[in-house]
Amino acid sequence: MTSPARAVEPPLLSVKNLSVAFPTEDGLVQAVDDVSFSVEKGKTLAIVGESGSGKSVTAQAIMGLIDRKAARMTGEIWLDGQELIGLPADEMQALRGSQVAMIFQDPMSSLHPFYRVGAQITEAIFAHRSVGAKAARAEALEMLQRVGIPAAERRIDDYPHQLSGGMRQRVMIAMALINKPALLIADEPTTALDVTVQAQILGLIGSLQSEFQITVIMITHDLGIVADVADDVAVMYGGRIVEVAPTSVLYHQPEMPYTLGLLSSVPRMDRDVSMRLEPIPGNPPSPIRLPPGCVFAPRCKYVDRVPGGACASARPELLHAAPDHLVRCHLPSEERQQIAQDLLRVLAGGAA
Amino acid sequence: MGGLTTRWSRIASLGAVVALVAGACGGSSATSAPPASTAPSTGASTAPSAAASTAPSASAAASGPKSGGTVYLLTQAQQFDQVDPQRAYTGEDMAFFQATIYRSLEAYTISPDNTKASQLTPDLATDLGTPSNGAKTWTFTLRDGVTFQDGSPITCADVKYGTSRTFATDVISGGPTYAIQYLDIPSNKDGSSQYPGPYKATAAQQALFDKAVTCSADNKTITFNLNQPVADFNYTVTLGFSPVPKAADTGESYGVAKPPVASGPYEVQSYQTGNGGKMILVRNPNWSQASDPYRHPYPDQWEVDFGLDPQVMDQRMIQSTGNDQTALMYGGIMPQDLATVFVDPNTAQPQYAGRVVNGYDPYARYIWINVQKITNQKIREAMAVALDRASYRKIAGGEFVGDLADGVIKPNLGMDYAPTNMWTTMFGQAIPDGGDPAFAKQLISQSGAAAPTLTFNYADTPTYGKIAAAVQASLQAAGFTVNLAPIPPGNYYSTVFDPKKAGDFGIGGWGADWPNASTVIPPLFTVKGGWDLSQANDPTFNTAVAAANAETDRPTQAKDWQALNTEAMQKVWAIPTLFGKASLIMGSGLATGTGANGGLYIWGPYGSNPYGDVYVK
Amino acid sequence: MVAYTIRRLLLMVALLFALTAAVFFLFNMLPGDPARLTCGKACSPSVIEANRHRLGYDQPILTQYGQFLGGIFFGRTFSSDSPQPIVCNAPCLGYSYSRHQQVLTMILNAAPVTFWLAVGAFVVWISISILLGIFAALNHGRWPDRLVMGISLVGYSLPSFFIGLLLIFFVILKFNWLPFPAYVSPFVNPVGFLKTMILPWIVLAFLNTAFYMRLTRNQVLETFHEDYVRTARAKGLPERTIVVKHALRAGLTPLVTAAGMDLAALLGGAVITESIFSLPGLGSLAVNSVLQSDLPLITGITLFSSTLIIFANLVVDLLYAFLDPRVTIA
Repeated sequence: MTSPARAVEPPLLSVKNLSVAFPTEDGLVQAVDDVSFSVEKGKTLAIVGESGSGKSVTAQAIMGLIDRKAARMTGEIWLDGQELIGLPADEMQALRGSQVAMIFQDPMSSLHPFYRVGAQITEAIFAHRSVGAKAARAEALEMLQRVGIPAAERRIDDYPHQLSGGMRQRVMIAMALINKPALLIADEPTTALDVTVQAQILGLIGSLQSEFQITVIMITHDLGIVADVADDVAVMYGGRIVEVAPTSVLYHQPEMPYTLGLLSSVPRMDRDVSMRLEPIPGNPPSPIRLPPGCVFAPRCKYVDRVPGGACASARPELLHAAPDHLVRCHLPSEERQQIAQDLLRVLAGGAA
Repeated sequence: MGGLTTRWSRIASLGAVVALVAGACGGSSATSAPPASTAPSTGASTAPSAAASTAPSASAAASGPKSGGTVYLLTQAQQFDQVDPQRAYTGEDMAFFQATIYRSLEAYTISPDNTKASQLTPDLATDLGTPSNGAKTWTFTLRDGVTFQDGSPITCADVKYGTSRTFATDVISGGPTYAIQYLDIPSNKDGSSQYPGPYKATAAQQALFDKAVTCSADNKTITFNLNQPVADFNYTVTLGFSPVPKAADTGESYGVAKPPVASGPYEVQSYQTGNGGKMILVRNPNWSQASDPYRHPYPDQWEVDFGLDPQVMDQRMIQSTGNDQTALMYGGIMPQDLATVFVDPNTAQPQYAGRVVNGYDPYARYIWINVQKITNQKIREAMAVALDRASYRKIAGGEFVGDLADGVIKPNLGMDYAPTNMWTTMFGQAIPDGGDPAFAKQLISQSGAAAPTLTFNYADTPTYGKIAAAVQASLQAAGFTVNLAPIPPGNYYSTVFDPKKAGDFGIGGWGADWPNASTVIPPLFTVKGGWDLSQANDPTFNTAVAAANAETDRPTQAKDWQALNTEAMQKVWAIPTLFGKASLIMGSGLATGTGANGGLYIWGPYGSNPYGDVYVK
Repeated sequence: MVAYTIRRLLLMVALLFALTAAVFFLFNMLPGDPARLTCGKACSPSVIEANRHRLGYDQPILTQYGQFLGGIFFGRTFSSDSPQPIVCNAPCLGYSYSRHQQVLTMILNAAPVTFWLAVGAFVVWISISILLGIFAALNHGRWPDRLVMGISLVGYSLPSFFIGLLLIFFVILKFNWLPFPAYVSPFVNPVGFLKTMILPWIVLAFLNTAFYMRLTRNQVLETFHEDYVRTARAKGLPERTIVVKHALRAGLTPLVTAAGMDLAALLGGAVITESIFSLPGLGSLAVNSVLQSDLPLITGITLFSSTLIIFANLVVDLLYAFLDPRVTIA
């Protein structure tokens, strides 16, 4: 402790050059390709992308849920000073559910249909701590109350199918937080829920985050929900991170054309309702045959603005556009900014 | 006349035979059997010496027949159709019972030679019976010292009571009915006997029977008064005339609920039916060789094993290990196993020599033609000429299952058989085994009618399905249209005997009840005969049959049957197909007392295993 | 649940009435004359009619049905002309004239054999197929999986009579490792019982094992991909707990329905196995009753077997409701 105090506390989670590939009969599926990011303690990182962008695989890699026998995984994942990829299976298992926890998209299918919700929560306690049955039940009950389950003392003995969708997700959250993990990964936690319930769940995650000092990774395809909950946003496409920035920066000064596309397809209260949503034309790339250059090039409207056809041939690097803003794009920075500002103005209704 | 029981259904379902007619047949294939009444008693006083003398050169049987051991009888059947002596009517069952538990007035001689075997030997009776009154009265005298298993003497009253049971047709069903047919008791208008059997007869009705069957004062001589001359009535008494003690009769359940009362050298110790069921016979302590010179019961015990899978049985018999070494099999070897044990029908593979035999079973197989529907004789001739009999035999199993037949009288009936020349000269030219469609077309054009559409009946089994297809193909080649009408095996005969349901022609079969075509021609081709599948009812023919029945000179009678057989074929009331053959096998630890080198043979009278002649080596 | 069970049982009784009626009418429509079947090859019309009367086939079919039902509740007497009429006490399912036995007696004699055969085979096939199925699923795509699936395919394509004959030929006839099967009650001679039943169990279990092995493997593999299994893993549960408590519990529950119904069907008789090994069970009894056109026996066995199957259906439903809380019965 004699060394000089560091100005910045190291991030709770740091992912470095993570690649995950699955060999299949059709070829190598490059699900995650050289992904790096970090999240500081207590912060929320949103990872945004379409399905197949690699965001869920990244989350599963952090959770250690990738089948090592079925996948090739390289890179490093540092959680609170511990590298996870090289960790033996039993040690990783000890971390899962205690240091790092996860909630999923569909709480109905994610809860075991045959067991009572209380039992499913206490099972998570017993997996990591030596606690008596009564104490575990009391703890589970308290957590159920804290996640806002009404009449929790009765609901604790319900089966999942007896609860509403929102209640089930609250149970999932209670189960994830029961061991006070440092990191919570929420994989599309509201996608399967009613719109009115979505906000409640997001609000609940937010309030619990500050209460328990939890770091959160929010995985979503919906940029719309990100604004209120995330500190930083990483946009993934074709297994790669294409843009990372603080939330407000990403919303107001996006640079990557894919991010622009996502933004323009988000319905927003502050936009002219007459403006139609503008989906990105084309389909996400096949993970088996990724384009050699920029993975987004086939769907990008602006490839012809890059000289020499570089978008199709050369792989763009993730470069700093600003100290906390990384962009992976061949377009010159000024041009990107110009395109973005024009578009945002149109979206805001101030046509030209 | 004749007897067929529920066994139809079972064997028909095997697809091997549909003509599951019970009965006896005797006589060798070529030589003529002497008239039954002239056959002397063979009366061997002690069995071993008699048997040994017939096989002096036998190496396998060098030590001669000896007593002891258990003989196993393996069968697919779930049970004996009937154990009741008045109801048993399946050839194999009758052969087994008469060799083991039941005695009768007369019995067939134990011999591998069909001519000898077809001759009678006195059993309970002292001789072959005495006819009088122009063969309308027959008298038999019982031997001294004959007893039931409880030691009580077998009397005339017991034989008489046993005979009377046949008349209770509502309770004692399924058995031979010769007693009803021949005894001099008046009939009702519907043809049934005025005597309803012992169970519910009034005193007046019982008096009718008591008049027809009388006992001497010493209760040892029984006299049967007949309603017609029956020259071979002493053969008739082998069918359903066994003694039953009245006190033990339980009617419907006789022989099943409790063991039947045995008169033979063995008694029933236990009887369980169904898969895994057994009938165990042990020696009858009250049977004495002195009172029964006919039998030589070698084994100490018999065990009948019911409900065995036919493929498993074949393998067990072929392997012949353990208890199976002393086993006999009820029924023949399956076609797929024949090549294992036979070189050809007359030659066994060397290691099975003496253990297997192929020979005539009791049945003649034929295709009946319903003459009430197919009235034009030329059309029937065309059907016969067109039929591919070679394919028929090949599908049925080839040369092991039968010789191509030329009539319904089989060569093993002895003197009653003569070639009919059906396939050589009868229709003016020789007919090849494969049929002659061109000649058949000529016959159709001669008929003056168009070739009709025909419906063919057969039991719905895989084998008969293929046979039916061959029948259809060969007749269609001659211009007929043939519709196939399969019938569930269990219902085959009950359907084709129903004039409303029967088709135009179909598969049938028949076995003689004893070595006289009087048990073949009348049943098959006269309305009263009981097996008239052809629906033949020709007045001239009927008259000729009646005359032949009454003919007391046996050689003359034989000539009559030969002529009637030929006539029926000329009129094509049936197309003969096969003189059936069976392939039997016995365990390696068994031998017969009279077979060549102690080998297995088919006992002619019932076309059965030689139950009365096997011993454990 | 009690009300549900009572309602189902009442429905079952109604169903059985309908079923016996159907069997009666169906048999009546078959070609052939049951009375003709009862007498020999030279049956005079008067004998046929006497037998028809004796067997009651001269009565209208509804009357016959009524007599049958009456026999079940009050008993009947058969062959009253016989010196010893056959008294069949309630519940009387009829009397088989071709077997000279009461139908109920025959069924009750055959039922234990079939019961032991079916239950033994059930234990063999369920334990083997579940163990190997799970083993294959856990090694999905690798050689143990391929081996198990290969065995399953072979088992599928071998007919049971072939396996039966093969086993009999080698185990019994060639090498004499076992005596030829002769059924004895396990309470009378346990060793003889086992010696008799071991081969039939194997033969009967063979085909089902092939099927259930595949079913188990696929079910378990499917549940491995279920979200709740991922949740269990995310909780940090040990792998064994994940497989046993989460994956298998859910994956094997649907097997209860299939296995329950298969067991019930076997309890109605296993025709081929019973025939090959000469076991006096319900299957061979049923087949022979059909071959012999033995109406009382056919009706009795149909009634017995369908009672079993309907009852098994109820048990399976109740069991499933117990195992899967999502299923509610009312």
